[in-house]
Amino acid sequence: METTLVSLAHGFAIAFQPDNLGYAFLGCLIGTLVGVLPGIGPLAGISILLPVTFGLNATQAVIMLAGIYYGSQYGGSTTSILMRIPGEASSVMTCIDGNAMARKGRAGAALCIAAVGSFIAGTFGVIMLTLVAPPLATLALRFGPPEYTALLVLGLIFLAYMSSSSLVRTLLMACLGIAIGLIGIDNMTGHFRFSFDLAELGDGIGIVPVAVGLFGLGEILSTPSHKIAGEVIAPKLRELLPTRKEWREAAGPIARGSGLGFIVGIIPGSAHVISSFLSYALERKISKHPEQFGKGAVAGVAGPESANNSASTGAFVPMLSLGIPTGPITAVLIGALMIHGVSAGPQLVNERPEIFWGFVASMYVGNLMLLLLNLPLVSVFVAVLRIPYVYLYPLIIMFCIVGVYEVNNSIVDVWIMLIMGVLGFALRKFNFDPAPLVLGLVIAPLFEQSLRQSLVMSNGNYFIFMNRPIAAVLLGICVLLLSLSAMSFFTKRRDWRAKLAEAEAGETTP
Amino acid sequence: MNVRADHIAGATFVIFGLTIIALSGDLPFGQLSMPGSGFLPMIVSVLTILFGLMLFVTAGESPRFSELSWGDDKHALLVTVITAIAVALYNYLGFVITMAAMMIALLVVIERRNPLRAAAYSLFIVFLTYGIFQYLLNTPLPASPFSY
Amino acid sequence: MDRRSFFIGTAATATALAAGPSFAQETYPSRNITIMVAFPPGGANDIITRPVAAELEKIFKQSVVVENKAGAGGQVGAQVAANAKPDGYTLLSHNNGISGYAEVDKLFDRKPKTTREDFVPLARLAADPVMLLVNAEQPYKTVKEFIDDAKKRPEAIVYSSGGLYGATHLPVAIFEKATGIPKLRHLPTNGGGPAVTALLGNNAQMSTQTVSASLAHVRSGKLRALATFGATRSPAHPDVPTLKELGFDAEYYLWVGLFAPKGTPAAIVQTLSAALDKASQTEAYKSVIEKIGQEYAYQNAKDFAAFWEADAKASDEAVKLIGRVG
Repeated sequence: METTLVSLAHGFAIAFQPDNLGYAFLGCLIGTLVGVLPGIGPLAGISILLPVTFGLNATQAVIMLAGIYYGSQYGGSTTSILMRIPGEASSVMTCIDGNAMARKGRAGAALCIAAVGSFIAGTFGVIMLTLVAPPLATLALRFGPPEYTALLVLGLIFLAYMSSSSLVRTLLMACLGIAIGLIGIDNMTGHFRFSFDLAELGDGIGIVPVAVGLFGLGEILSTPSHKIAGEVIAPKLRELLPTRKEWREAAGPIARGSGLGFIVGIIPGSAHVISSFLSYALERKISKHPEQFGKGAVAGVAGPESANNSASTGAFVPMLSLGIPTGPITAVLIGALMIHGVSAGPQLVNERPEIFWGFVASMYVGNLMLLLLNLPLVSVFVAVLRIPYVYLYPLIIMFCIVGVYEVNNSIVDVWIMLIMGVLGFALRKFNFDPAPLVLGLVIAPLFEQSLRQSLVMSNGNYFIFMNRPIAAVLLGICVLLLSLSAMSFFTKRRDWRAKLAEAEAGETTP
Repeated sequence: MNVRADHIAGATFVIFGLTIIALSGDLPFGQLSMPGSGFLPMIVSVLTILFGLMLFVTAGESPRFSELSWGDDKHALLVTVITAIAVALYNYLGFVITMAAMMIALLVVIERRNPLRAAAYSLFIVFLTYGIFQYLLNTPLPASPFSY
Repeated sequence: MDRRSFFIGTAATATALAAGPSFAQETYPSRNITIMVAFPPGGANDIITRPVAAELEKIFKQSVVVENKAGAGGQVGAQVAANAKPDGYTLLSHNNGISGYAEVDKLFDRKPKTTREDFVPLARLAADPVMLLVNAEQPYKTVKEFIDDAKKRPEAIVYSSGGLYGATHLPVAIFEKATGIPKLRHLPTNGGGPAVTALLGNNAQMSTQTVSASLAHVRSGKLRALATFGATRSPAHPDVPTLKELGFDAEYYLWVGLFAPKGTPAAIVQTLSAALDKASQTEAYKSVIEKIGQEYAYQNAKDFAAFWEADAKASDEAVKLIGRVG
């Protein structure tokens, strides 16, 4: 413990060297830009700038590249809140309540809460990274396919808490999402499924085109411009900051999101994507006012935003202490370190302490920088909403197209986005909520693959899920949750869902 | 006939489920101990049909189909068509031309704005975006045959 | 100005501009060259191709843009490049995968989207030998021990790969054939990283991964290298024998190659391969290869064509050995 603090102090000495500070700032700045602009995600941003870092030493390079990574996590919420365009999978949940807040004139508050939530979550993540990285990393390695399967079952159960529409509607949307998620090459057998001989569909349908289409374009299609022409929702300057009440509502979700996100972020694989979904469902489940979700609930912004930032820090745990990537972005960072002659892994702390601790310390500094960078920017970003809607929505459509195209340089993705936009329009007509669809799409391929991988490992024996402690605990939680809802069903105490459905039915049927 | 919105929606999902089954004809189902690539598609389509039927049966609570408001359909259709044309041309005419034309078309054709103001606004936005991507981020956007 | 005259105006300007570059076609290259990387940013293909592009830029005095066109294990990029205009302005950076698609498609009665005939090889930029790795908790210390156990317990040992019929799956099939062991149990994951993670977590007991992808884990003692699929011992692992030394006919590399679409004029192919030869001698290229833990393995167009021929044959055979799964 004491040695950790000494090492950390040493790290701060490195991070505070003027040029290192400069590279951290540069990374954060580029990251924010990359995050705000649709399409260019952290992955592309880091790859493009990788050759630029050849002239730097390894510490500077990793400080700057990591700055791009977590900087983009801050920036990612901006287009979600202002334009309902989720730039990447982890901002999908933010765009629902964030944009609803913006429509109520609380865009500034939503952006501030997202920035502060990100700061708290990011800092929490780094503190955890400093203190408990090595033991947690070992835990991460034990997270194999069976544990993954159990986690995703939990995710599927949470799905029921995600939406205010009736259970049948939620499940139908989830099925639709899973069906879309089936498209592509089956990784386990090599079959092309439902891909109509298009190689572009081989990797399946991406989350970004679907989410941008359903939420971004779908919203525009179902908002006839003549109805809100001339209506400007930009707030006055003094209304930019969240109110005391909004801060209070945000505090709990930020704390829970930080914890949840960090744990999920450590898991190797694509689990960090579901951290924001889990956080949203959790907040909705325990909220006293679940009916506000989808209509601009502060918790619906604060929770997922914190979870996603904390997860992106958690992802550094297995990367730094084991040298294993938790996702494509950490893989690029490991590659970047290699180019600088450093191999990430258990020896990194001992062999190159100046890189390890300099990097960790720079993350404290970087998070603070990002907060200071993002808060003033809020007023700039909110100014976008001063553009009258009639002029704003062509701009949003352009951003949707460019954003989706740039992710994979694929026009097929843009067509998918357009089709999903029309689908989103139709779903809204028939009173369906598209959020469970996106979760279904995220979970389906992961769930199917990890279930089948587990069965390969056990040679077809389902007891593998009970024999491994982590998987058994996760499944135990699932059973507990299910029996709790079953109990409330039998005791005839209708939960909020039934009441809500009734209230809604009362509203819609004349 | 008293057609409700959920009658239409439920029926659509049933048809959708049947379509998945029809399309996955040659995918092996496998066994429970070793699911094949047709396993999940089968489960999902059966569930979709089941839930679709449930929706159909309980459709009485939903609004009448004829009472859904379709006031925005013309606007939505126009936006979709213009966007689709732009997507079709995007890879051939490049970012600058296609996106400027699309924004101008949206503003002039649908919103009946002054063409000059629409053009000025669209070109400003398009060139700003182009500049940021091309020079600041060094990420080329699709180019037209005229190399910009 | 009304709407119509505006559009006519735009069209006229457009035509005028279109006429511009079409005059200057005599010397190659006269405009931007795009190298399509069929894999996502940050992968070996991407990391190796970018410095080469930078060197070509200096040689040609034209910008050389790297564009990632990933998807379906590299098939999307291959297909797009195969259908690009064969004018030398679109090149493809690909790996072993480019050889095997046609054979896999045959297995599933699909019409192949691309075949080897669609591409002209320009250069091999890298070739990283594959290692036979086991989790350090496993008892095997030598290849012989591993083979004995595999024979004793058929289909019990699990190996992880980055994907079916991929560059970390085929070597296992080659190994099975060369040693005559019964089939091992296959755990496919989606990518090289997850495959290594599965091995590290002991969810798989064996995996074949490249030297550069596994070096750090072998050094940290979490993985053990039993043999290399290279023709010679790897300088990074001087104690690890080659499979050839042990008497097994198995050789496999994960390589990165540069291709032009079929029909590219011979003169342009020549210009390109001369430029690549030059680029391969630069310090920038060599240092990247060294830093990512690989050996210098550049081959010019002629050598690469011969190597590719033999390598593709072996890979076709391995695909057939694996056959259809499920």
